Amino acid sequence: MRAGGEDLEFEPADLVRAYVITKGRELPDEQQLSLITLVTAAPQDGRRPARLTPEEQRLLDICSAGYLSVAEVAGHTRLPLGVVRIVLAALTEGGHLMTRPPVPRARNADKDLLEEVLNGLHRKFG
Amino acid sequence: MTKYTANPLLWVLFLVLAAAVLVVVRQRKASAALRQEISGLREHYTDLEHHYTQSVASAQEQADEATKTVLKSAMRTLQGLAAEQQLILSRLQDKYGESVILQDLLEVDHTNSQFGRRAQSIAVLCGGWLGRHRDVASVYDVVRSAQGRIRHYRRVEILSQVDFGISSRAVEPVALALAELLDNATSYSSPDTVVEINIRTVPKGVVIVVDDAGVGMNDEERARAERLLTTERVNGVGGLGNPPQFGLAVIGVLSERFGFEVSVDSASPYGGVRSVLLLPHELLTGMPERRTQPPAAAPAPVAAQVPAPAPAPLARPAAQPAALPSAAVPPPAAESYGSTEDGLPIRRRKRPMAIVPPTESAPYGAPAAPAATASRSGEQTAAMLGAFQRGTRSGRATQRDDANQTTSTRGASSEGHEFS
Repeated sequence: MRAGGEDLEFEPADLVRAYVITKGRELPDEQQLSLITLVTAAPQDGRRPARLTPEEQRLLDICSAGYLSVAEVAGHTRLPLGVVRIVLAALTEGGHLMTRPPVPRARNADKDLLEEVLNGLHRKFG
Repeated sequence: MTKYTANPLLWVLFLVLAAAVLVVVRQRKASAALRQEISGLREHYTDLEHHYTQSVASAQEQADEATKTVLKSAMRTLQGLAAEQQLILSRLQDKYGESVILQDLLEVDHTNSQFGRRAQSIAVLCGGWLGRHRDVASVYDVVRSAQGRIRHYRRVEILSQVDFGISSRAVEPVALALAELLDNATSYSSPDTVVEINIRTVPKGVVIVVDDAGVGMNDEERARAERLLTTERVNGVGGLGNPPQFGLAVIGVLSERFGFEVSVDSASPYGGVRSVLLLPHELLTGMPERRTQPPAAAPAPVAAQVPAPAPAPLARPAAQPAALPSAAVPPPAAESYGSTEDGLPIRRRKRPMAIVPPTESAPYGAPAAPAATASRSGEQTAAMLGAFQRGTRSGRATQRDDANQTTSTRGASSEGHEFS
C-alpha cells in the first residue's frame, strides 16, 4: 500500500472535520451568541446526558465551573471560534447550557461634571 | 465369341467402363486429399483461434495494467491535492473562525472531503496509495470521519459509542470502507430518512452496524454484493458496470487487505439494508490519549487569537463578590482540569484567593478530607485564621482602591477571577 516515504508529503489534516462536529448547523445569530456572551453549564442532577459528542462533552466541562465568555471557551479548545459558537448554540438549545448577555459596560462618568465639582470644591475649600 | 469381339460397340462399352473406373478412382483420391486438407485447415483454424484468444486476453491485461498504472498515478496526484487543500481549509477555518465566511469554508471542506474519497476509492481498486498515515483514533472518531466523506452526512446519526481505538494502519481503510457503506445507505434510501449507526462490542471485536430505511436489495443485487464482499475481487476499474458501482468493490478489496469483515446480507429493522462492519481485535487498541502537543500548525494562530477576542468589556458576573467570604474555605466541588492541549490553564472560578498561602496539610486546590479538618492543630488553625484576616484586609484595601473606579469592571482582565 504505502511504500516508505510516500506518505510524507503533508501532515495529515484532522480526522474529524469541523463540519461534522457542527453537524452541518448554521452559525447562530450574533445577538443570540456573541463573542462576549457568557455561558455556563445548566445545573444537571449529577449525570451527564449520554449521546453527546466528545467536543460537546468537553465544552460542557469547560463551562461547568462558572460563567465564561464564548471567546474564552473557544480559547480552551483547538476548534475554530465559529465552530465553538455553533456547538455552544446547539448545547444551549438542548438545555445543557445557560447563556446570558454580557454585562453592559459601565458608562464613564461625565468628565465636565467631575471637573465642575472639583472646581467647586476648590473654590469652597481651597 | 468372335462375333462379339468383332462388335465395336462392345469395345466402346469396355473403354467407357474403364474410363469410368479410372475417373471414380481419381475422384476418390482427390476427395481423400481434400478431406485431409480440410481437417488440416480446421486444426490450423483452432490453433489460430486459440492464439487469438490468448493474445486478446494478454492485450486486455496489458491495457488494464496500463489503465491501472495511469489511474493510480493520476489518483495519487488528486489525493495529494485534496489532502493539501484540506490542510489549507483547516488553516482558513482557524484564521476566519470568527467570520461568517466560516460557513462557506465548511461547505468547501465537505465537498473537498468527498472529492478526496472518490480519488481514494479508485486508487484502492487500482492497488494504489490509500493516503497519509494516521494516528490511532477512537472508533467513534473514525466513524465520524467516514460520515464526513459522504454527501448526505447530516442524515447519519451515531447512536452509541465504545471505548476502543483503531490501530493507526487501519484508521484510513476502515474510514473509507465505512464511508462507502454510508454512501450506499444514504443513496438508496429516501432523503428524509435517517441512517443509523450503532457501535457495539462483541466477543470477536467491535461491530459498526449501519441501518438504512431504504427499499433493500433484490436477489440479484444481494448475490452481487455477496460475491464482491467474499470471493470475487475486482482488479482495476473494469467490470464495475455502467454507471460504475464502486462501493462494494472497494469495500471488498479493503476488507481483504486489512483484515476486517463486512456483510450486507441482512435487512434493517426499517426495511432497508443492514450492513455490519466487524473490526477484529487485531485492529483495535485502547482509546487514544488526548494529544498533549497540538499539531505544529495549530498553536500559533489559536494562541494568538485568543487574547484578542477577550477584550476589556468582558465584565465579571454580578454573582462574583459573593465568593469572597467563602474563599478561605476549600472550594466544594473542585475538579482538577489541568490544562488544555494548547497548554493554557483551564480556569476554575471557585478557586481560592491567590494571596492566601495554602497550608501544608490541606492544600486548597483539593477538597479537604473531613478527617484532616478534625485533626487540625492549633498552629494550623491560627495560620488559617491569619490567612483569612490577611485576605479580608487585602480585599478591603482593593475595594478602597477601586472606590473611584467602577467596581463592576474590576475583574475585566482575562484573569479577573483571581480577585473574587
